[in-house]
Amino acid sequence: MKTISMPHLSAGESIRALVTMLALGLGLALSAVAAEPVAACCAVEAKPAEKPDACCAAEEKPAAKLDACCEAMARDTFSKESLYQSEATFTTDAGKPFTLGQLRGQPVVLTMFFASCGYACPLLVTDMQSIRAQLPAEMRDKARFVLVSFDVARDTPAALAKYRAQRALDDQWVLLHGDEESVREIAALLGVKYKQEADGSFAHSNLVTILNPEGEIVHQRTGLQGGLPAAAAALAAAATAR
Amino acid sequence: MSVRTVCARRWLFALALAGAMAACGAADMVKMRVIPAGAYVPLQRSVKDAPSVPVASFLLDERPVTNAEFLAFVTAVPKWRRSQVSRLFADASYLEGWSDDLTPGEKAPPDAPVVRVSWFAARAYARWVGKRLPTIAEWELAAAAGYDGPDGKNDETLNRDLYAWLARPVPAVLPAADSLSPNFHGIRGLHGLVWEWVQDFNTALVTGESRADAGLERNLFCGAGSVGAKDTTDYAAFMRQALRTSLKANNTTTSLGFRCAKSIP
Repeated sequence: MKTISMPHLSAGESIRALVTMLALGLGLALSAVAAEPVAACCAVEAKPAEKPDACCAAEEKPAAKLDACCEAMARDTFSKESLYQSEATFTTDAGKPFTLGQLRGQPVVLTMFFASCGYACPLLVTDMQSIRAQLPAEMRDKARFVLVSFDVARDTPAALAKYRAQRALDDQWVLLHGDEESVREIAALLGVKYKQEADGSFAHSNLVTILNPEGEIVHQRTGLQGGLPAAAAALAAAATAR
Repeated sequence: MSVRTVCARRWLFALALAGAMAACGAADMVKMRVIPAGAYVPLQRSVKDAPSVPVASFLLDERPVTNAEFLAFVTAVPKWRRSQVSRLFADASYLEGWSDDLTPGEKAPPDAPVVRVSWFAARAYARWVGKRLPTIAEWELAAAAGYDGPDGKNDETLNRDLYAWLARPVPAVLPAADSLSPNFHGIRGLHGLVWEWVQDFNTALVTGESRADAGLERNLFCGAGSVGAKDTTDYAAFMRQALRTSLKANNTTTSLGFRCAKSIP
């Protein structure tokens, strides 16, 4: 461990610093001890672990969530450009837990929206349907169409299920509810900006993102006009590249 | 492998987790100050926005996170080291001023604010120490204070220091994170040291109707964004908003650091 000078600490703070640095050493040592067992716990679930030490540091993971740690190990197997590295967790409109990594293996069309939106979001969903219609027939049921809601308070899984019924969205569609942190993380990964207005609606970027089967962004269509053939072509290319 | 073995190993992991938590505490030695509840008046708002946003009392780090503290983080969490971080979460200049993965070096003194960190990295650090990033409303409320009162708008000394900083180029080596005078709340360096990430930086929209992405930054940077602003003389606030609006979550810069906050239950 490196020696760290702390010229701005008082005598009392220096003592505290010394004590806490000792704790740091203990923590790191114990983390190192745990590296192999964590890899083992994941191996039980047949999830390869490239970097066992990465999750032993227990970033953001409370002790009760050991299985979640194993999931984090699995995430390390995604490519460095894959959105599926995200630790964000969601709930589907069927009430089931969901992480984006579950989409691996299929090309994806991903958009953020909110169900009560009266202007842009219905158009975005229609655009996603149009992208699907422009795919070669044999590919239409291979792609997944994912909607992540900004509206963490009102777009509950039940509300999203109602939206699915209203828009007649089939099983290729995945409708996701998340907490504030997860939604913000996905928005940050996609480059989506959004802001809740005082009336509860959201101002937001209009982005339709195409992911390849590894979860890497291969195309983004910005705005509400045009760009659908290019998005469909990118989706088809992603599907055939697998 | 038996289930019992797995359970035993999981127990060992839990023990190690406790050690790691102790490490988190070690890394984070900064004092937190209570920021009293108040109201944040957004620089700009749409017709649908309320005139002000109520902000509950919260805790804010007295100073930005230092290189020494961030070193402890990347030591404990290897995936955030410069050589290992995913480009998705931090761009190519992440921690570029450091000598190597685990050596900040001469250009990044241990007690200076850590810079060239992405929003993802800042957020991960905050979680690691059991905190979070402040929201825009929280940060701006704390930063609105002068040296002697909760409203620094007319604090001549504060404004002199602030605008002198804005006029200076970023120094090659940043001063200590706690080197500046505390404001009324006891918080140091909100103005005059580094820019800082906030939790909801990606809510920085110029108008309420941001339905044409191409118009966002154009509006902001051409100055049209000042239309409808609460105070067109608050040049520093425009600078902060311009920065937040232009950033992507994996961006890093030579003068962008962060500090942590915590809610008060």
